[in-house]
Amino acid sequence: MIGAEVTFDVPIPKVIWGWLVSTNMWAKSIATGSFLLGLYFIKRYPQQDNFFRKWLPILGLIFIGITLLVTVLDLHHMFRFWKIFLHPHFTSAVTLGAWVVSGFVIVLLIAFWSWATGKKQLFDRIMIPGFVLAFFSTIYTAGIMGEATAREVWVFPAEMVSMLLSALIAGSSAYLLLDAIYNNVLQEQVRRELGYILFGSSGLMAAMFIGELMFAKMHSEFSHEVIKVLAFGEVAPFFWLGMLFTFIVPMVLVGIANEYRNYRYAWIASLSALIGLWLIKHAWLIAPQSLPLS
Amino acid sequence: MKLGFLVDLSRCIGCMACAVACKAENDVPLHSWRLRVKYIDQGEFPDVKRHFVPLRCNHCENAPCERICPVSALHYLPNGIVNVDHERCIGCASCMMACPYNAIYLDPITNSADKCTFCAHRIEVGMMPACVVACPTHANIFGDLDDPESEISKYLKNHKDVMVRKPELNTKPKHFYVRGSTVALDPLASERPEGFTLFTEVKYLEHIGGH
Ligand code: SF4
Ligand code: SF4
Repeated sequence: MIGAEVTFDVPIPKVIWGWLVSTNMWAKSIATGSFLLGLYFIKRYPQQDNFFRKWLPILGLIFIGITLLVTVLDLHHMFRFWKIFLHPHFTSAVTLGAWVVSGFVIVLLIAFWSWATGKKQLFDRIMIPGFVLAFFSTIYTAGIMGEATAREVWVFPAEMVSMLLSALIAGSSAYLLLDAIYNNVLQEQVRRELGYILFGSSGLMAAMFIGELMFAKMHSEFSHEVIKVLAFGEVAPFFWLGMLFTFIVPMVLVGIANEYRNYRYAWIASLSALIGLWLIKHAWLIAPQSLPLS
Repeated sequence: MKLGFLVDLSRCIGCMACAVACKAENDVPLHSWRLRVKYIDQGEFPDVKRHFVPLRCNHCENAPCERICPVSALHYLPNGIVNVDHERCIGCASCMMACPYNAIYLDPITNSADKCTFCAHRIEVGMMPACVVACPTHANIFGDLDDPESEISKYLKNHKDVMVRKPELNTKPKHFYVRGSTVALDPLASERPEGFTLFTEVKYLEHIGGH
């Protein structure tokens, strides 16, 4: 007796979380990444801190705003959103995320106020809680993925590291892009360091994706099937274009820029990384939803 | 009290009485289901076998859906049922992402998550779940797992081939199967090609995220 096939069944759901959730993760990476890197550069290059004190809250507020907007739009009862604060269930990473991001928004508003009024000490005082909130805002989505027991390929500790690396890629790309738009306002040393961060985080994240492509199949049959969908299935174009745009193009262009001290094409690397990040996050989100669970 | 379910797959004749009774009892909208019966054909003619598999929420003791629900709309009742509060639900679909058994749907009319509740409203007034009553072969056995004299406890004690779905996930289902098989219970052990079959069109629903 060989082979088995479903011959009668009800239609079952496939994609439950779609592009709004991919956009949520992507925008959150930019908001938290630009915050974390902004803090680093403010501390390391105080002579250039005006640039970061300005753009850290602006990028943060715009992209965390997009994150919150798509989150609420994705709710089937969007006007019940407040219940997450009045009836919180703290075993849920969704709840923890909502609370942490709310705290992060308050920090961003203070950072903005501090920049707008020129009161630097105001922001300096909340840098440590800001760092903690930005850090946890970055990784809580990995907690949600980890709780999504149904989609095994997400339930890896590596997911958390991958979220942090996405934030570094997104943050460094956003600053490099701004630098290019404003005709290289940053000192060369800062620009080079941003380039190294983009290069390094892209390289590490590429290694993680390749590792999961090769080894996830050992985790379970489900993961094995998901990897097949990623590499050869309906989301394969997103996945491979994501690999190209997020990792290969930025690493080559930023590598050349830093090596030859010619930064003319570095903005293409940043743009490519930002586009690629959305593509790869989308592929990673959709692939485990393509398989029947029952 | 710990309520549980058991399906004796050797008794199931795939008549769908349970699925119809469930739809009628719980007003389950079109394109949604709380209990479904899947047919799986195995083998090549003349050496063939058809499996009938009733599938519903397992009322897991360690339920991922309950854990992930941000507002406790999914909650445990003292009798072990994993229940849904439709008024509390914010429609985030996290539970659908977390349930490894595809047991939850978003009701297109109420916009809230919903699923099998073991007919909690009937149990409250001393009745059996609608599917149990409708089954002509008594393939569905329902009762208190804490009571050693209940039919379900005796059934579990007297059968060595008790299975649950995806035991490796440690969700601790309270829904058991006897005389089952991997082909019947593991969704990856059979193909699920889309298209028309002998009976109906096997398909996936479009993205349900739209509002
Ligand atoms: S089967 Fe799914 S919906 Fe039912 S209790 Fe378990 S995780 Fe929740
Ligand atoms: S859809 Fe409703 S029941 Fe499901 S996790 Fe979200 S709030 Fe809870």
